[in-house]
Amino acid sequence: MLQRIFIDNFRQLVNFEITLERINLFLGYNGTGKSTVFDVLKKIQQFARGDSANTLFHINDLTRWQKSLIQYFELVIGGNGGIYHYELAIEFDKVKRTAQVHHERLSFDGKKLFEFDQSEEQGQFYGDDQSAKEWVMPFVSFQSVLPIVSRIQQNNTHVQWFVKQLSRFIVTQINPGIMLKSSDKEASQLSATADNFVSWYRYISQNQKAVFSITTALQEIWDGFEYFRFVEAGESRWLVLSFFMQDGSSIDYAFDELSDGQRALIVLYALLHFAASENCILCIDEPENYLALSEIQPWLLSLYDFCNDNKLQSLIISHHPEFINHLAASGGYWFDCQQNGPVRVSRIGSNGDVGISMSELVARGWIHA
Amino acid sequence: MPRQIQLVILCEDQQQAVFARHYFIQRGIHPRKIRVNINPGGQGSAEQYVREQYLREVIAYRSRSSHLAIALAVLIDADNYSVEQRMKQLTKVLEDNSQRPRQNNERIALFVPKRNIETWIHYLRDTAVDEESDYPKLVRTGDCKPDVIRLVTEICPVGLPEDAPPSLQVACDELSRIMP
Repeated sequence: MLQRIFIDNFRQLVNFEITLERINLFLGYNGTGKSTVFDVLKKIQQFARGDSANTLFHINDLTRWQKSLIQYFELVIGGNGGIYHYELAIEFDKVKRTAQVHHERLSFDGKKLFEFDQSEEQGQFYGDDQSAKEWVMPFVSFQSVLPIVSRIQQNNTHVQWFVKQLSRFIVTQINPGIMLKSSDKEASQLSATADNFVSWYRYISQNQKAVFSITTALQEIWDGFEYFRFVEAGESRWLVLSFFMQDGSSIDYAFDELSDGQRALIVLYALLHFAASENCILCIDEPENYLALSEIQPWLLSLYDFCNDNKLQSLIISHHPEFINHLAASGGYWFDCQQNGPVRVSRIGSNGDVGISMSELVARGWIHA
Repeated sequence: MPRQIQLVILCEDQQQAVFARHYFIQRGIHPRKIRVNINPGGQGSAEQYVREQYLREVIAYRSRSSHLAIALAVLIDADNYSVEQRMKQLTKVLEDNSQRPRQNNERIALFVPKRNIETWIHYLRDTAVDEESDYPKLVRTGDCKPDVIRLVTEICPVGLPEDAPPSLQVACDELSRIMP
């Protein structure tokens, strides 16, 4: 479980710290940094997978009123029988406008697993039992040590677990309008807008348990829905939904023939059941978008159940009353920033107001008034 | 019991919602047919929220029950009141607003755990309970699910033991209003 996030000198996040629960609802006015936290999680995930710091981190993302050229990120993740602490610092060159790793460290229960410091230009790997002390060479300071270190086979279960756990972050804001109808190849990661959903679904189709759960969930929503299948079209594959008719025949609809709301529902239930089967950390920005009102609570309660059963962790950004009234009192965080200053976040408790709902308090700006 | 019944659960907090929702799912009501109306403030004035919403839900139920298969389950902690007093409070809400009391043929059930829902949960865990003590809340609301399953699969089929909390006995009688 992701327990804590620390971010410093990234956009309006300065010494920003948040501790998390199984289910978390981020609330706040527009522009108060909620989606920025998701951006950071996505960037760290991509960085740990091997993407270059220059591709992911931009000098324009330094906090405007800060002078430091170093950004700091920390994640604390519980699991594998202990607590991981990951630290990453990115340093920018003001003239070349480039980004490189200042330092990167990972520890488990307080014991170092690896550390890299720019001044050393090498990373040191310690191993599960702290006995390895190997220099990891060659090293490129534009990239994470994690992909290199995780290839070490001996004495290395802790780092490998951590890398696997980072791959289980799913960070997205579903935009069905730009989803591609076909897939050229499988995608192991869902994109930030879920536009590659068809390719991602190809990838998760290997998980039969998840596919069965997704299909069953959608059969309960749509009368006659039978299953998903892929149809070859040249070098691509199209995702097709099969429905049975009352006369016993079948009828197919291509994914792009569905409405935006239907596609959003498919993605949401696919995310939910896949995340539950793989114990993922599911970060969704405004999941209620495009959904019929009657579809919001069933999905929300399913999410709540899975989180409560420890099958997944969720971070949700939502402005919808259904989410606010259900989750704010138990898992709500209020994001705020005064006069373009740094973002501050605080837990929301029960309001104590008679007859005024949480969503109404949010609408009035009275959450902490 | 028609499986396609649509059930509204009106309740004070997440613990009641999880307990009741999981119970009715175990009894065969489809999750998508259950709508939860929970106190949006979380805690605090939760029982007042339930009393206020009770009137609205009963009116909504009565305007549709002739042509829709619907039911209303209300959960409200007795706290320091008796079960009977809490039920009378709800009846008075209807009377004060020119609504007739609950009729025998209406699928409206009132569940009033005394002292609160935790009393029932701890009883289902084989703890000796009384209805005056305040039992600790669960770490996670979903931790009650095994207890609910035990209620449905082991206890309900043979009837409640005599040592069950009286408020749970009353609840069993109420249940027959929506699940005969």
